[in-house]
Amino acid sequence: MKVLITGAAGGLGRALAVECALRGYDLFLTDVNEGGLLSIKRGLLRRFPVKVMIKSCDLTSERETGELFQFADRNGWTFDMLMNVAGIDFEGGFLERSSYNILKIVRLNIEATLSVTHKALARRNGSSKRFYLVFVSSLASMYPMPLKAVYAASKRFLLSLAYALGQELKSRNVSVLALCPGGLPTTPDALAGIQAQGFWGKLTTNRLETVARRTIEKALRGRRVYIPGVVNALLSFFGRLIPETAVAKFLYGRWSKAQKLRFREQAGGAC
Amino acid sequence: MKTAVVTGASSGIGYAVCEALIKRDYFVIGVGRNEQKCLAARNEIIENHPGAQIDFITADLLSQREVLRSAKEILKILDRTSDGALYALINNAGCVRGCYTTTEEGYEQQFALNHLAGFLLTHELFPNLVKGKGRILFTSSNSHKMTKMNWSDLMFQKRYNPLFAYKQSKLCNLLTVYWLNAKYGASGIRAYGIDPGLVRTDIGNKDAGVLIDLFWSLRKAKGADPSVPAAAYLKLLESAPPLGELYHGCDKPHRYSREVNEKNAGRLFELSERLCGITGGWGI
Repeated sequence: MKVLITGAAGGLGRALAVECALRGYDLFLTDVNEGGLLSIKRGLLRRFPVKVMIKSCDLTSERETGELFQFADRNGWTFDMLMNVAGIDFEGGFLERSSYNILKIVRLNIEATLSVTHKALARRNGSSKRFYLVFVSSLASMYPMPLKAVYAASKRFLLSLAYALGQELKSRNVSVLALCPGGLPTTPDALAGIQAQGFWGKLTTNRLETVARRTIEKALRGRRVYIPGVVNALLSFFGRLIPETAVAKFLYGRWSKAQKLRFREQAGGAC
Repeated sequence: MKTAVVTGASSGIGYAVCEALIKRDYFVIGVGRNEQKCLAARNEIIENHPGAQIDFITADLLSQREVLRSAKEILKILDRTSDGALYALINNAGCVRGCYTTTEEGYEQQFALNHLAGFLLTHELFPNLVKGKGRILFTSSNSHKMTKMNWSDLMFQKRYNPLFAYKQSKLCNLLTVYWLNAKYGASGIRAYGIDPGLVRTDIGNKDAGVLIDLFWSLRKAKGADPSVPAAAYLKLLESAPPLGELYHGCDKPHRYSREVNEKNAGRLFELSERLCGITGGWGI
């Protein structure tokens, strides 16, 4: 199995890469952080007898993404699995963020993901070999999320895309999985975000090692969507029953509290 | 003047050890993660001990790149000040993680910082330690007992348990101590592990997760002041307990777990060399 992972130097990307290597899959890893890619490659090769190739790439640049695939072509990679992990969020109110940053969320989470997915699928050349496509969406995709509005909407896009492509590409032997995790304790920053949410943060947080393992298991089984954790599954179920305006109101209260706490802590820490 | 390197030096036990060393006229090179905290620690020590010889290096030892970079900086300082000889390396930096988190290399963080970082730094500075007939101290813990090496899943990828991952990392410290003495004791170095006991530090409050943060805040209130274990560290540097006594408490040597044996130590050493990319031996 040959796997392409984007955002592979970040927390979830890294964990998925380790999980794939554990299963003996060959890996082609990309990320904007070249130093991080070199490190994860070193770490993987020291532990597992697999092939690892890396290429740093800013996926928001169509030119660089093109070069990435040309590089893979030249080195004889034909992928059996694509994990679209690369994504970004700039938390905070819509008007408090620059339009550049807001558009960057769309460029990376949506445009870049579409570009990579299209290029990877186009390279199958009508092959009937099984192909596994994974989109990293989020629990945030289940609701409208004030103060994380663009991020949540971008993740909703991916969830919707995954459902639709899953049906459309079924006949071409492509299975499509959307992963919708809650908080993942990957970086000190992510951890601070989870802590600031208090009770809800703790409740919706998922275990990174479990998410990484089950994502691959579910993809292989051809599942459509994976919402890790019972609480998250329940939340997403009830989220669909309650009117969106009510959900938005509730979430606005929750996030404004968490963000106030978090940004105050950050400001305090900087003094 | 003897030179000592202390990791995790900007707070807690590391800071107290720095102070104790300065009082005995050591030249101290501290390594800390946070630049501002390192600066504050340095200023405080110089203020309290005028004329203190202390340098700080800022490095996040979770990443092996940073371990190697800090080793290079330490070597530069040693060449300048002591003709390359190093008397003491105190591998003290450590962490607790409530959840499975990985380093840049994809390694579990407690294993990477509590064990591998100290292992790699020891390797990088080993010729200097041999030259200085030096001591290598690891901040281990009594908690290395009642556990085994989880060889089939060393980084707890299948199901993470913070306590067992921590216990194992502290067992790794003593296995490293065992092997260093067994294999390289003849070169004049001595390695010891220390159980500092329950100490009032912030180890459980730094990125450890909500529950551990809360638990540790309650528990550490009963802990000793970091200066208590610091005195024990100094005693190990100034006296020369027999090499068989691998593991010391604040007062006297303790019996270590039966898991600390040649078979486990050799296996861990070989594996750690691989995980740190050490291919050229230990330079002696």
